[in-house]
Amino acid sequence: MNKQDDHHHGVDPNSPEVRTEALEDLLVEKGLIDRGRVDALIERFEHDLGPMIGARLVAKSWLEPQFRKSLLENADRALEEENIKGAEIEHVEVKANEPGVHNVVVCTLCSCYPWALLGLPPSWYKSPEYRSRVVREPRKVLQEMGLSLDAETEIRVWDSSSETRFLVLPERPEGTEQLGLEELAQLVTRDSMIGVAKAKVS
Amino acid sequence: MNSAHRVHDIGGVEGWGAVPYEPDEEVFHYDWERRVFGLMFQVLSETAKRPGEFRHALERLAPEDYFCSDGYYGRWRAAMEVLLDEYGHVAKDELDDLLGVERGTGPGHRVAGVAEVDPQNLPPDRLTPKPNHRTVRRELEEASQFEVGDRVIAVGNNGMGHTRLPEYVRNILGTVVKLHPAEVLPDSTAHNLGERPQHVVCVAYRAKDLWGQDAEEDVVINVDLYENYLAMETELS
Repeated sequence: MNKQDDHHHGVDPNSPEVRTEALEDLLVEKGLIDRGRVDALIERFEHDLGPMIGARLVAKSWLEPQFRKSLLENADRALEEENIKGAEIEHVEVKANEPGVHNVVVCTLCSCYPWALLGLPPSWYKSPEYRSRVVREPRKVLQEMGLSLDAETEIRVWDSSSETRFLVLPERPEGTEQLGLEELAQLVTRDSMIGVAKAKVS
Repeated sequence: MNSAHRVHDIGGVEGWGAVPYEPDEEVFHYDWERRVFGLMFQVLSETAKRPGEFRHALERLAPEDYFCSDGYYGRWRAAMEVLLDEYGHVAKDELDDLLGVERGTGPGHRVAGVAEVDPQNLPPDRLTPKPNHRTVRRELEEASQFEVGDRVIAVGNNGMGHTRLPEYVRNILGTVVKLHPAEVLPDSTAHNLGERPQHVVCVAYRAKDLWGQDAEEDVVINVDLYENYLAMETELS
């Protein structure tokens, strides 16, 4: 190391922590980056956005058949009426699971994902293993991930290759007839809206 | 089938193992991932502003940087370093020198340049009403040349530029199942060759048509394709 006097020493200079910190310092020094704006953006994506937004839509569609219909027929209008806006939802399609049909979402070319409905994607969704295999052997991949589907269930895979973003509408679990919106929304996991899990009573 | 320029185009590529699945996984695992994510938006506003441009930067990374052990945000940082260099903000060696590491060993050094794309291979541009906010969607006067139920084949082109046609559906017969709103064409915008907006067509492929008779039963793969990628089956036969 030839920069013993700065704060990047003492650790592997090729580690992602050190390289990222050095890059950020350099960008701040050059006036390209406002650290406060970086902090605010992280805060918003980590705390204000997340799967609870999509989960509420799913729960509402379980309770209100008319809402379910409009979400499936024209999600863009339904989201506008719900005042849901934001990144990566320019055009949204909602795909409903039903007896005999299971939907699952991927982006084989990169990692497209409906940020404003689900927050940021988990690592496994962005992994080459998921991206390469779920279009080729979805039944096997889902089984490995803990979701066994009947052999008769048709699997519909949605590859997010344009700016359309997909949300899976999972089936409402049995025994939840007495639950209200908030309680139902608690049952709707992020993974169930990607299509690699079912909504279930825990 | 895949060239070095298609490192990212991995749909259906065999040899990958178990999905590293963790139910309800956190979106960030390390603080540096948060920082990369947060930095990216401001970096992009100084560099790759056109639709497809950032994706094309990722796709030009060498395989060892694309599939790097630092994962998705490591890949983002590598592409960010490429863009900062190409737009003249941070030279390639600047960060290496600052860190005291050997020049040329960091991510972003092994990247391919932006491919030359011949505009002759792109559909003609056309004027559309200017949207009043930032969006890739455009209103086209002409209806799509395709209808739900049409049997279509994506031919694509053999160029090395950015495209959203996944290799695994190329030259395979599929069925139009839906028309999406028109969008600017990333194959063109990524290369600064104009918007050339296209209708977007959702095409359904049977797994057996894609992968052969040993494919899983009752599986349909739906892919969204820009209209210029597609030809009617009847046109080709």
